[in-house]
Amino acid sequence: MQAAVAGLAKSATPFTAYLRTTNRAGAAVWRFGVAIAALLAWEAVARWTASIWLSSPSLVAARLADWLRGSLYVHLAVTMEEIAVGVVLGTTLGAVFGLLLGRLPTLATLLRPLIVALYNLPLLALAPLFIMLFGLGFMPATVLVGVVVFFLVFFNTFSGAESVDEDMIRSLQIMGANRIEVFRKVIGPASVAWIISGLKVALPYSLAAATTGEMLAGGNGMGGVLTAAAQQFDMTSMYATLVVLMLAGVLLNLCATRLETWLLRWRHAAG
Amino acid sequence: MQLADNLRQVGDPAADRPAADPPFKVEITGLTHSFATRGKVTDALSAVDLAVREREFVALVGPSGCGKTTVLNCVAGLLRPTRGTVNYDGKPVTALNTRIGYLSQKDTLLPWRTAADNIRIAMELKCRPTSRAAANAKVAAMIDLVGLKGFERHYPAELSGGMRKRVALARTLIYEPEALLLDEPFGALDAQLRLIMLDQLQTLTTIRRITVLFVTHDLGEAISLADRVVVFSARPGRIRVIRDVPIPRPRDIFRVRFDPRFARLHEELWDELKDEVVKGTDI
Repeated sequence: MQAAVAGLAKSATPFTAYLRTTNRAGAAVWRFGVAIAALLAWEAVARWTASIWLSSPSLVAARLADWLRGSLYVHLAVTMEEIAVGVVLGTTLGAVFGLLLGRLPTLATLLRPLIVALYNLPLLALAPLFIMLFGLGFMPATVLVGVVVFFLVFFNTFSGAESVDEDMIRSLQIMGANRIEVFRKVIGPASVAWIISGLKVALPYSLAAATTGEMLAGGNGMGGVLTAAAQQFDMTSMYATLVVLMLAGVLLNLCATRLETWLLRWRHAAG
Repeated sequence: MQLADNLRQVGDPAADRPAADPPFKVEITGLTHSFATRGKVTDALSAVDLAVREREFVALVGPSGCGKTTVLNCVAGLLRPTRGTVNYDGKPVTALNTRIGYLSQKDTLLPWRTAADNIRIAMELKCRPTSRAAANAKVAAMIDLVGLKGFERHYPAELSGGMRKRVALARTLIYEPEALLLDEPFGALDAQLRLIMLDQLQTLTTIRRITVLFVTHDLGEAISLADRVVVFSARPGRIRVIRDVPIPRPRDIFRVRFDPRFARLHEELWDELKDEVVKGTDI
């Protein structure tokens, strides 16, 4: 904090003051400052224009406080559950297909173009189809999440499985490893990095897929809250929902990064 | 280093050598290998004949691109000869030769395994069923042998180049192959470390009675270690000359270069080699 203030005192503009910040704590303070400034600007504009479309940070905060007393958790749990199930299914299938097709070129030539073609289908177009196939409620959103995660994890795993170092494989074969052992000991672990990176990319999309599925299919989950708020022109609730979704996304990403750091600790090991 | 103690315990390796000529471990006859790039067929090797006896240390020297690695790869079963035969223990090499150990220039350690786990990996394979306790004991012995005590739980990313090479050597020796194929394994190391590794290699291969085929571009390295030195010509590779190294074993790797016999052989072979090196640089 002192460093930031000292820097401010010495510099001509706040930006050059920020550039003088040398440590991470200083940068965090500046980041916080920028966020607070944006919120204050929003609050000021909202009070000044009294527009119903803007709501204001204070109103949104009040709404969130109200939700946190009880009604938020049910909906958030539904969305999170859909994401969890969808991610598990999508990652498993995506990884399996990616590994198989990555190592069996004939299978890849057969199936990969089909998968690429399917990937071009827009998510929103699939939602009504899934609603008809799986009914309203939990399932369509979960399947949407699964589909999104599948494609991203598949393409990443495929690239990874294809590009495993041949010399590594050969050195194990010379030791006498059979095909399965090469897979378990070399190709599998080598692909983990790619699977995780596919998962990390897929997480924000999975949040969007879950919310979209809910908006089109049912009344539960954060998507349901969003639609209900929209129907009643309740801007404050809509903004509050977006804040919750944003925080949920950040949390998901944090978890995924933690998982990645743990799984790939051999990479970060270098001193 | 602990190795000197190990050597003393085993006894003088030179006395163990049998009086009669041991059988041939590797026999290469008329080996030719060509490959096609962009429609053009190039001969990497052209009619190479070489016979290596058991427990012999043979060095293959030659300019870049002369095909010495190709010879190694044919013996390992990584490549099929275009013409000619490669026999290992009297039988032709048709598939990947799992009776040998192969150490390449690149250390292909698995980065997600610790040093100890990398060394252990050969003992985990189905073709070599070993109990956990036995495998652990072997790994510990290997770690001691290559002098990496204290680094067992380090990942390759945390080890220096020399240490990684030692792990690679340990993981190759742990399953006690009868023959070692080495492709310029110490090329990336600095000069002092290279001498230390060469010394370790000499000790280990003598104690374990291993047949060695050692590819290098460094003539001095070849003469220091080998029983015989084979000089290759530039591409397409043929054997230009083979010479016995008259320096008796065990050799002091750090001082062998000052031996007059070393200098004589070095000069003779360098004359053969330098013409080929000049030709080789045109490729």
